[in-house]
Amino acid sequence: MGHRVLIVDDHPSFRATARVLLEAEGFDVVGEAADGASALTEAGRLQPEVVLLDVQLPDIDGFDVAARLTGNDDGPVVILVSSRDSSDFGPLVMRSGARGFVPKAELSGDRLQELL
Amino acid sequence: MTSLNRALVAIALSAVVAGGAAAALVVSSEHTPNKGLGIVLGLVTAWAFVGTGLYAWWRRPGSRFGALFTAVGFTYLLGSLTASDDSVVFTIGVVVSNLFFVVFAHVLLSYPDGRLQERWHAWLLGAGYALCVVGPLPQLLWGWTERMQESCPDCPESALLVARNDTLRDALNAVTSVIGVAIVATVLVILIRRWRAATPPQRRGMAPILWSGVAMLVLLGSALGSDAAGISRLTDVLGWLGLLVFASVPWVFLIGLVRSRVARAGAVSELLLRLGEAPGTGTLRARLADALGDRSLQLVFWLEDKGSWVDAHGHPFALPADDDPARGWTAVELEGRRVGAIVHDRTLSDDPELLGSVAAAAGLAMENERLQAQLRARVEELRASRARIVEAGTQERRRLERNLHDGAQQRLVAMSLTLRLAQSKVEKDPEKAVEMLAGAQEELTLAQAELRELARGIHPAVLSDRGLGAALEALAGRAPIEVDLAELPGDRLPEPIEAAAYFVVAEALTNVAKYAHASHATVRVARMNGRAVVEVADDGIGGADPGRGSGLRGLADRVAALDGHMLLDSPAGSGTRLRAEIPV
Repeated sequence: MGHRVLIVDDHPSFRATARVLLEAEGFDVVGEAADGASALTEAGRLQPEVVLLDVQLPDIDGFDVAARLTGNDDGPVVILVSSRDSSDFGPLVMRSGARGFVPKAELSGDRLQELL
Repeated sequence: MTSLNRALVAIALSAVVAGGAAAALVVSSEHTPNKGLGIVLGLVTAWAFVGTGLYAWWRRPGSRFGALFTAVGFTYLLGSLTASDDSVVFTIGVVVSNLFFVVFAHVLLSYPDGRLQERWHAWLLGAGYALCVVGPLPQLLWGWTERMQESCPDCPESALLVARNDTLRDALNAVTSVIGVAIVATVLVILIRRWRAATPPQRRGMAPILWSGVAMLVLLGSALGSDAAGISRLTDVLGWLGLLVFASVPWVFLIGLVRSRVARAGAVSELLLRLGEAPGTGTLRARLADALGDRSLQLVFWLEDKGSWVDAHGHPFALPADDDPARGWTAVELEGRRVGAIVHDRTLSDDPELLGSVAAAAGLAMENERLQAQLRARVEELRASRARIVEAGTQERRRLERNLHDGAQQRLVAMSLTLRLAQSKVEKDPEKAVEMLAGAQEELTLAQAELRELARGIHPAVLSDRGLGAALEALAGRAPIEVDLAELPGDRLPEPIEAAAYFVVAEALTNVAKYAHASHATVRVARMNGRAVVEVADDGIGGADPGRGSGLRGLADRVAALDGHMLLDSPAGSGTRLRAEIPV
């Protein structure tokens, strides 16, 4: 079985497509969340190894969610995703504690695997 | 002669007759000493009050001050009944002889308009009137005091005499004197508090009456106190001094009136002279404040085109209400046209002649300042609308970014991922791959539609290419309600006007669809008298609020930036009509 993944994004169409894509490539998608608060709750409950986290969420900013998730040593690996380019965010990605950034359109199992 | 004047003349004649009767009573009296002096002093005092009161009444018929002042004179004459040798008339005279003190206190408490300011003041005066009548009763019922017997050995006996009882009489006399002193002291406290709370113009107006009244009350209160203490000589001296001050009150009032009239006439001439020297130099307010003696004076200006008042900085200004107790206002006109108003201390409203003269003198200078205020109001309005336009631009960019991000961009992302998945399935599961490609095609169609809608919102291409008529036809075709294009301009209008007109119609139709509960809307765009007139009317529920949302305000700013203006007419139940006029 592959890595246990939690997908966090406020667009249901992206969550659905990302789930199909990652599951097809051997990942185990254990849950989904539509905003920052439920991402923190679900991460605590499901204990995923990887959190695929959208930057722009309706409540808490993705960078803040990443910082909270990676605050503990046993926290999950956070991969930020966005339909924007990483250059839009400057050094924020690195500072957030996230392992890396993948543009949404380029998401694939291989890209994810490279960062893990 | 008006009915008021006839009434005043009748009252004056009554005073003459009453004075004559009083004098006759004194002349025929067998127990009154110094008859000549008594008659002269009594008549001069009573007639001075009546005359001054009638003059004040005639000058300000709306104020009760004149009537009360007149009443002081008449009640003063009642004291002459004590000159009668008939014991019943004499007794009545004793009972009513002090009433004039309370009527005078009434004048003081209700100065300047003759109306009491507090309800409990009426109770206080009621107590005063009652005490005046009850006060002499102990002597009338239980015999004269020694002082009374000494000062008037030949006075008739009281018609109310029951039996001599000096102890009871003296005890009750002491009680009434103490109550009298308490009432006088309370009136004094009220007057002094009023003085301290008054503005400078109010103090100028109340000074003559108030200070002579205070002096008289102090002397009267002291006389009552010394009477209670049994110091008869001091009581006499204080009583006489009190009467002297009382007799001087009408004259002090008249002298104050004449002095202020002379001073004000001088102030108006001075104002005219100074306005003539350097008109419109921005010191008009200070000059009018000097002329009217009111440092709190404000000047406000009338903007005919907006139908509103502004201050010298061009900020909107609300005039004081008619019943505002502290502030009043006087309109300033030039050649029959309203140019502004003087907002002043309410006390000055008592002198409309002075305000009228100053307002007339200020007309031309006021017009100059009005033009400056109008300019400042316009600048202020432009500054505010510029800030709103910048803010609206930022909001609009934010909205566009959000719409692009949440709409077309998400669909393209989903499509990209689906295509990648389909690619991986082509060999192993071609049927699934075809299904995914169909899904991607659907996403692409939706993304295109969203991008089209967005681009149209920024600036419809058909508007630039084919003009306003074609753009409005397309807009009407897409509207969720029936839209009738009743009139469209034949020729192209300048591009900024076409764009503004298009967005006025687009926003209006959006509002109609959202809020108006309408089934039908009519759009008219016409060129009239050098203006492009855009009108959108619907058959909905009306009652639209022009302040609702930022859409209409943003459009009003856009139209105003082209020197146009927008009007919203939306009576409840009768549909809504939005009209924009832009100079071409």
